[in-house]
Amino acid sequence: MSELTEYIQFVLAPQMITGLALGVAVVLVALGLTIIFGLLDVINMAHGEFYAVGAYLALALGASGVSFWLLLVIVPLLMVPLGYAVERGLIQRVFNTPDRHVTTLLLTFGLGLVLEEGLKVVFGPNTQRPPTPIAGAVEVMGVILPSYRLFLIIVGGAIVGAVALALNKTRLGAIVRAAAFDRNMAASLGVPVTRVFAGTFAFGVALAGLAGVLLAPIYSVFPTMGRDFIFLAFTVVIVGGMGSVAGAVVAGLLITQVQAMASLIVSPVWSDPIVFGIMVLVLVVRPQGMFRRLGHA
Amino acid sequence: MHEPAVPAQSTALIDRLGLAMRASHVLVLIFVVGGIVFAALGTAMGDTFFLRLATEALIFAGLALSVDILLGYTGLLSLGQALYFGLGAYVSAVVLKQVASFWAAMAAVLLVSLVVGLLAGLIANRVRGVYFALVTFGLAQVVAKAVYNTRALGASDGMIGVPIVPVDLGLVVVMSNAPAGFFLVALGVIVVLYALSAYLLDTPFGRVLVALRANERRVPFLGYSTRSARLAAYVLAAVVAALSGALYPMLRGFVSPELLFFATSGNAVITVVVGGVGTLAGALYGGVILTLLKSVVGSITQHHLVVIGLLFMATVIFLPKGLLGLVTPRIERLLGRGR
Repeated sequence: MSELTEYIQFVLAPQMITGLALGVAVVLVALGLTIIFGLLDVINMAHGEFYAVGAYLALALGASGVSFWLLLVIVPLLMVPLGYAVERGLIQRVFNTPDRHVTTLLLTFGLGLVLEEGLKVVFGPNTQRPPTPIAGAVEVMGVILPSYRLFLIIVGGAIVGAVALALNKTRLGAIVRAAAFDRNMAASLGVPVTRVFAGTFAFGVALAGLAGVLLAPIYSVFPTMGRDFIFLAFTVVIVGGMGSVAGAVVAGLLITQVQAMASLIVSPVWSDPIVFGIMVLVLVVRPQGMFRRLGHA
Repeated sequence: MHEPAVPAQSTALIDRLGLAMRASHVLVLIFVVGGIVFAALGTAMGDTFFLRLATEALIFAGLALSVDILLGYTGLLSLGQALYFGLGAYVSAVVLKQVASFWAAMAAVLLVSLVVGLLAGLIANRVRGVYFALVTFGLAQVVAKAVYNTRALGASDGMIGVPIVPVDLGLVVVMSNAPAGFFLVALGVIVVLYALSAYLLDTPFGRVLVALRANERRVPFLGYSTRSARLAAYVLAAVVAALSGALYPMLRGFVSPELLFFATSGNAVITVVVGGVGTLAGALYGGVILTLLKSVVGSITQHHLVVIGLLFMATVIFLPKGLLGLVTPRIERLLGRGR
């Protein structure tokens, strides 16, 4: 009996919390992806690179003395004009081509390439790690938890909740959902659709940047960090249902827990195949994902 | 007796797809002639470096060709074509280390890629559009990770020590380390792959692909199966990529897991888009243009990917038909006038 409680206390519970921290971070990134897809019908292949840009901004500003708490506000705010400019300057240019999915995917893929290489030019290819803003650990019911991961879970969870609330309960959220449901009808009712599109894209990019700030102290910062992370985020979006906010949250937490538990049994090397296996299974059984698309109740 | 109901308006009666295909043949003919001239010049000047670089460009052009079969003809974007390219390279390397026979390696690669292409195609073809792109991406990612962690395949180091192979062409035997000779072998293989793809895509099967790209729901009403056509296109693309990859270890003497990585797939997509989607010849020209660009820009700065990425984005926005889109209408007009 005591062996079991010890296993739970020292192996299972910490592993679950680690998985949960990763899950919350993945949800933050996937949330931006899925909102952008739900509204604009665009697969943002550069999303991982926006996440990396956020992390690097935090690193650079942090090194010049800006406190971590300020970074949590400043970096997303800095990402907004970047996202807005990308939507208006690049995506809108090819938005009305017949094959929008493929064209925008290609365009954002190219953008991701440029951003990633740009990060290498500016910051060098090496891995860097900002100091952990909250050191130490707390003990909850005999389980020792790193404080920063706990903080990440709470703050990330609060942001996800706020986004869901804003989308479903506010006037602005109603506008976004209306535009996602039928952009022409929304436009004819006076919704400034082009600005809503650009604003939503910028918002998604800001969320990715925020995830970058939050995760930099745990997973380090390197130019290809976005590429490694985005596969997981894409899987979450597919499994949850492209364009579904609830789906991204549920799938994000579920997949990262499966991953965390699986790594107790098999080598962590197999985490990608497991994630991919889940994705294929969902696509085969239910290609539209678990939940409905944004704006489609 | 009867006058034709439609007056002879030659332009209206011309089969535009057939014309585009013939324009592509003309461009490939120019490409081959250019290649032979290049090989002759290279040999005369005693060059090794550029001939081998050009051979590598051809090999990667074969991978781009396979991306174009999918993207240009069925409208499906594969972000994981490196899976088959790497598969071909690894199978070829494994076979060559046992028996140093060019044909045995090619036959093994053909067989394995048919089987794997069929199996993966059954998974990937369950979904369309962006889902297809992400599934192919994931599939390649998983295989790359698996190879990266398999010690028997050299894990992260890859496999070295692939021997020099004699390529027995009946009349002559070309060694794989002969710069000009193996360049011509690679050119031959790529042209055969091109001819095979072009032939198949010009048959009624190819027209079904074009039709399902235009309107997938309507094609079954005309009595054609979209599933088998899509699967056939997928397997064809897999075979083309794998046979191109099979040449890689013969040229370089090693294989590494990088061949399976997303960067390889991504490069092939860039090559096709810059060259021209749906032209087949665009993949070959794109391969040469990109390799040229990389070595020129790469000699100035090591961050050549910034330039290539920007060029790629500019092509997507301003030249949806790629660089060949600038010349093909002219060639089509010339060919059309002959009627």
